[in-house]
Amino acid sequence: MSVKNGINGWAGSILRVNLTTGTITTEDTLPKYKPYIGGMGLGYKVIWDEVPLDSDPLGPQAKAVFAVGPLTASGVPCSGRMNISFLSCWSKGYSIVDAHMGGHFAHAFKYAGYDAMIVEGQSDKPVYIKIDDDKVTIEDASHVWGKGTFETNAVLSKENGDTFDVTSIGQAGENLVPMSCMVTSFGNSGGGGVGAVLGSKKLKAIVCRGTGAVKIARPMEVRLLSNYMIKDLVGGNNNHTVPTIPQSWSEYSATASNRWQGGPGVTWDKAPNGPIDMGEQPSGQINVAALRCNKGVFDFGAIAEKYTVKQGGCSSCPVRCYTEYEMDPLADYDLPTHVSNTCMPIIKMLEWYPDHVDPATGEKVKSTHDFVDEKDAKMILGGAGSRAADDYGVWCNYGNLYEDFNMAYSTGVLKDVITKGGTDMTEWDSIPWELMETGDPRWLVEVYRRIAMKEGTFSDLGLGTYKLYEKWGMDDAGKNVAGKNFYDFVNGKNFNIGHNGYPRHHGPESCWQSGTIYSLMYNRDCMIHHLINFVSSGAPYDAIIKPVLEGFFGEGCVDKPKAYTPINENKIKLTKWAFNGKQWHDSATLCNWMYPMTIATSKKRNYVGDLDLDAKYMSAVVGEDYTRESLEFDSERISQLLRVMTAVSFKLNLGSDNLRRDHDQPSDWVFDKDPDFKPFEEGTVKLDREDFAKALDMWYDAMGWDKETGIPTRETLEKFDLGDCADKLAELGLIK
Amino acid sequence: MSDKKRFLDKDFTRRQFLKLSGKSLVGVTMSSAMLSTLGVTAAALAEDKVKVWAFPQGLLVVNADRCVGCQRCEINCTLTNDGCCSSYISRVKVTRNLYSSRNGKGLYTENNWTYFPDTCRQCEDPACGNACPMGAIYADQSGIRRVDTEKCVGCGACTAACPWHMPTVNPVTRKSSKCVMCGACVEGCPSGALSIIPWDKVSAAAQAV
Repeated sequence: MSVKNGINGWAGSILRVNLTTGTITTEDTLPKYKPYIGGMGLGYKVIWDEVPLDSDPLGPQAKAVFAVGPLTASGVPCSGRMNISFLSCWSKGYSIVDAHMGGHFAHAFKYAGYDAMIVEGQSDKPVYIKIDDDKVTIEDASHVWGKGTFETNAVLSKENGDTFDVTSIGQAGENLVPMSCMVTSFGNSGGGGVGAVLGSKKLKAIVCRGTGAVKIARPMEVRLLSNYMIKDLVGGNNNHTVPTIPQSWSEYSATASNRWQGGPGVTWDKAPNGPIDMGEQPSGQINVAALRCNKGVFDFGAIAEKYTVKQGGCSSCPVRCYTEYEMDPLADYDLPTHVSNTCMPIIKMLEWYPDHVDPATGEKVKSTHDFVDEKDAKMILGGAGSRAADDYGVWCNYGNLYEDFNMAYSTGVLKDVITKGGTDMTEWDSIPWELMETGDPRWLVEVYRRIAMKEGTFSDLGLGTYKLYEKWGMDDAGKNVAGKNFYDFVNGKNFNIGHNGYPRHHGPESCWQSGTIYSLMYNRDCMIHHLINFVSSGAPYDAIIKPVLEGFFGEGCVDKPKAYTPINENKIKLTKWAFNGKQWHDSATLCNWMYPMTIATSKKRNYVGDLDLDAKYMSAVVGEDYTRESLEFDSERISQLLRVMTAVSFKLNLGSDNLRRDHDQPSDWVFDKDPDFKPFEEGTVKLDREDFAKALDMWYDAMGWDKETGIPTRETLEKFDLGDCADKLAELGLIK
Repeated sequence: MSDKKRFLDKDFTRRQFLKLSGKSLVGVTMSSAMLSTLGVTAAALAEDKVKVWAFPQGLLVVNADRCVGCQRCEINCTLTNDGCCSSYISRVKVTRNLYSSRNGKGLYTENNWTYFPDTCRQCEDPACGNACPMGAIYADQSGIRRVDTEKCVGCGACTAACPWHMPTVNPVTRKSSKCVMCGACVEGCPSGALSIIPWDKVSAAAQAV
């Protein structure tokens, strides 16, 4: 119970659970981890100090650090996320990655009195960890081992009591499938392969109850700042600040359909007591903020209203991005009708239904059909697929899982590999292709089951892009039947940002050189929303986006959609703000889908957001003086640590001494798409190779990294008190 | 005039709602103007999905269908009344209904989407106050029942006695606390699941009967 310890913001304690020995201990969070804030920063420091970076990510030396930060459960809106740091078991270099989990678990954990839990060692039988404030035990999980996450969470919630929250892994994690996650609440998950990491430890679940509190230095200030943010700054999901549907109070309606879909006539049709109309949601009003997002309508169009019960999401967040559906048509297939998810895990299920060839005519035929209403397949299949993926605990690698299947199927690689060049039809014929070809939602249960249970060659899809391409020869045009390098070739479904096994997360297609650079900086998709949020805010570019952003970062820092310009210093400044800012959010923890508050809903503010808000929150919660600059400095320390760990992993695991060459190179499609256009012509988002090389030079300069290798210099590291990192790099011959 | 007809009469509005505070509204007839003012449907009343509480500031309406489970009511309650952020000691309670609550509703049950905030009913004959061995729960001049922390010994008799277990003993201070009708939960509710309809608006709607 954190208020006991007298510390503002932080809970003050870190829990350490060793599953080999069964030992459970606690240690103080501060002062060791204060320079690393919490969450991601804390997790990285633990892994750096305690886990050799050539450890097997699924071996006994590996650790998983569950961490929240000083703002988690402090009352600050959108502070409901938990960061889990561990070594990647699937992406190039097997270096540091994070899972980021929403729902309600982070609040329960912080209220129980912890900033982090370090899970180490491996149990020899299935277990779950029970956190009941300061009573922490390792419990038998054999009765839920082998079960999906929905049943596991229901059973453990019921067994432990109505005040316990739960998070668990599914069969994918148990079977060490790299594309695996953990799931809490309903569809809220942490990905990045954390399922396999916990599965290797035989850790099925964590249950948690916290009856404590987070001590706040200036509680009324936090309440007032929160009110100010909800009234004047925040809009819909991804902080889209202009409503799509015109509203009488609003000067503008969105320039393109965005994630503020609530408006008069938009309803939650399945509300138990009759449809609830979203009405207008003026800037300045708190009590309508949750009605703005209406994510289902953004994802699937107006048809989503028909099946919407309400909108859910995370603790403390007034912007509800998880539409909660009752999709009756799924009952006809004996599938669960209650589904909820958001974005990538629910919107791209059609990728599992590529066109197929009709054997009678030899023609390509569409594999999906309408269910009840015109064009409802995307939603109904989305519901079925998201529920199946969550239940088996399969992670989609920000959509690459579906795209890899779609591309491999459509190019003939899938059939060639599974049938061993047409010589063995056993597995191919065991796959119920008729489910795919008839648009049957049970196809999704079947594909996720095969992946989660590691059944056959088909399940190699669960290895993740990097190992899949290597195994199936998709990383070399000479090694597969399609004659393509699947990282590089121009195809509307190839989103690989480089050759590391993960896609861009709002990269060159919408955020020019800046999004491309930061999409390449991590060891999984970057999860940075700093730029895409204002790009897609719905605000007019010339009247709002450009002047507001140039006011913050200087002339030329942003580009108009499909009208890119060559790299310049202010774009680099913007990129650095986004890159370090993402580390800040995952350490604080604040939701990077919502923060920072760059553009505002409020006309009286001239739609200018408040980039100092995060520091104001920190000052009010912790009671010390924080500024935007001081937070950016601490966040850059985490950026530097990420880079050092990546360099060390690449050296130890791949023998690489050059991140610029081996980690940071974009895929060819980034430069080669739209052959009829030249880079920087209006109408294309393609980038230019020479310009991008210059952009990397400028980026490394801005980050204090060697231009040739992309590795931080000693001088840079010592500025952030990371002298031990410099020593390690020197020991490995990576810096002089 | 029968009681039913007098219900929602201008002069009787607040008094009538005080009587109904926290109780079922099944069987109560409301005009469309009143339904609209409260933001509820006749069907919701008939199915007992709407509760109202008479607050000094107006009528508190809890609409379960609108609750999105964000817990901001608990956050604003504890920031305002306890100087910290907590769920367990909050005077308004939604988290305990979120997971697999005692009534078979919540995210981990078959009724996944049914969760809602609960708060003190400000009972006329309060079980919490009657059970308190120290006489620590008293009604202030507005009729709001409060805990005298000087007298409270944190024994938990109030929690046990309340049919909805609303008063909660803070595990750190060992003092009980309960709703004091400050309205912070309503002010910060982003979905309008909690709303306070000012008495003049309730009266105006009653006049339109």
